[in-house]
Amino acid sequence: MKSLLSISALALGVSTAAMAQDLPQVQVSSDWFTQGQETIAEIIAREKNEGRAKNVILMIADGNGVGTNYATRLYVGQQLGKLGEEHVLPYETNDYYNGIVKTYNINAQTPDSAPTAGAMNTGVKQRFNLINLGGDAVHDDCSTVAGNELTTFAEMVTAAGKSVGIVSTARLTHATPAAVFSKSANRNWEDSVPEGCTAQKDIAAQMIDGMTSGMIDIALGGGSRYFTPKDAPTPNGGTGHRPDGADLIAEAKDAGIQYASNLEELNALDMSKPILGLWTDSHVSYEADRPATEPSLVDMTRTAIEFLSQNEEGFYLEIEAGRVDHANHAGNFARTAADGMIWTEAVALADEMTSDEDTLIIVTADHEHAITFNGYCGRGTPIQGLCYKVSKTGEMHSDELALAADGKPYSVITYANGSGSVLKQTEGSNDFAGSRPDVSQEEAMDLDYLQQALIPMESETHSGEDVAVYAKGPWAHLVGGTIEQNLIFHVMDHAVNAK
Amino acid sequence: MLNRRTLLTSMLATPMLASSAFAQDDIIKLRDLYDRQAISDLAKASEGQRISVDGYMAPPLKAESNFFVLTRRPMSVCPFCETEADWPSDIVAVYTKRIIKPVTYNVKIVTSGILELGAYRDPELGFVSLVRLTDASYA
Repeated sequence: MKSLLSISALALGVSTAAMAQDLPQVQVSSDWFTQGQETIAEIIAREKNEGRAKNVILMIADGNGVGTNYATRLYVGQQLGKLGEEHVLPYETNDYYNGIVKTYNINAQTPDSAPTAGAMNTGVKQRFNLINLGGDAVHDDCSTVAGNELTTFAEMVTAAGKSVGIVSTARLTHATPAAVFSKSANRNWEDSVPEGCTAQKDIAAQMIDGMTSGMIDIALGGGSRYFTPKDAPTPNGGTGHRPDGADLIAEAKDAGIQYASNLEELNALDMSKPILGLWTDSHVSYEADRPATEPSLVDMTRTAIEFLSQNEEGFYLEIEAGRVDHANHAGNFARTAADGMIWTEAVALADEMTSDEDTLIIVTADHEHAITFNGYCGRGTPIQGLCYKVSKTGEMHSDELALAADGKPYSVITYANGSGSVLKQTEGSNDFAGSRPDVSQEEAMDLDYLQQALIPMESETHSGEDVAVYAKGPWAHLVGGTIEQNLIFHVMDHAVNAK
Repeated sequence: MLNRRTLLTSMLATPMLASSAFAQDDIIKLRDLYDRQAISDLAKASEGQRISVDGYMAPPLKAESNFFVLTRRPMSVCPFCETEADWPSDIVAVYTKRIIKPVTYNVKIVTSGILELGAYRDPELGFVSLVRLTDASYA
């Protein structure tokens, strides 16, 4: 494939040489110029795959909008010793088609992760804080569940004989993984529903029902406390939370599902029976803090694809990097970056383990955050750190920090709101006031550093800004332009049903 | 190539030396009391001694109290991440000399106290801690 591309690139070089000959040598001999020509050749050489997708992998980095993804690109590039800006993430190569996604919910300009993941799993936009219920359902109102349940992509492909898998670094009962299988009037009904609510079960119970019924074949992530009776010890060292006293892990085991609570146990399982893996009481650890006993997102991705690939009819796998979102909520970009980096490695692995011929891979985010980028920083400025001025010569930034009107340096990234706010509550009053701390580069580069924020809030918020979508494999070329988020389902649906 | 790190290192050499000397002598970072989710060697070596730790005061559990929780990052409560208040695993329970005067959760403080290690359940609050500072003061 690579040699074909080179030949096309050469051919194109010949055809454009006539036009380029009049241009100054300094222009046509520039790497930028030749790389531009090569990219055009690659795009021309891209062939539409109109075959039927045997497998679909939907990869969602929670909260990884265009801005957060940009920051991850620079971080990963800089970790590899590059300046960063020029780095290409695994899904940013020219063999991926891409587009821009509008993420709002039916009733929310700023979306939350439940209806956004639900839109991708059902083909219709949904309401704020609900999962997979139609537009007439009302948040927190169990009486509006009946008759509003939507059918999920997982249910549809199960009926067609495919296997289904879920991987997440959040709790498996959390919004994005839950959107694969659950229908709930409240995304927080993770292990209980209000008294008298009989129209739906809690999300953990729905997941185990999905596993015992044969819909979900492998589920790997966090959240064992919601599968463990209240006050009973969880297998992960904490305490159970289920008010109904049900032991859902035992129920799963009784139904013939294999269970693992850490990486060693996961690696010891055989591949012949369904797998439930729960590594933590709540969310899986941030990648920056993850102990070696916990599987990483890459470990989970590998096991899930190996397991699911055994089905000749194919599979649907949703993979979520859930904690990119949580670290952004904390206003702590260093942890966002570490979780973002392993996310990109998981995408690369999923691509490597599958064939473009029969596997549609969609890479996207559910929403963006209130993350912002300051200027004017020189090339190679560490993305999580303070902004260096632009150098007059060469590429690398100047050694001089850029200063704000208060004479103090500032980080490239700031958040519009959150706990990093420079405004602090004054004693005995509701007024918030303050000035920006004078931060050193060493402090700004620290793993625990919170980038400065403006509006004081206990948790940094999502934003309604667009996210990107990238796709390769059968019918990936349907992804393009500026699309509504629910269209992603329709791409997957078309791909698996193509004649 | 003169890369970003080389530049950074040379540029920051002077201020880094100055500030790290201060940090090592006087103030321990809260995270250094833990090794992932276990007690660190540094903490074990400092058990029973008066140490100073930097961190943030989580919103107090109770008014008029001699107790607060020190966190390594501001304790933000995210309604979309959690359905209930979850404490991080790496915190320090602080028992103060005087009734505490709450400090906003995102203002850094330095707490000085006698380091105690090992699981302990507060008889009044039911709060379970692994690392504590007692006879503490903060600024």
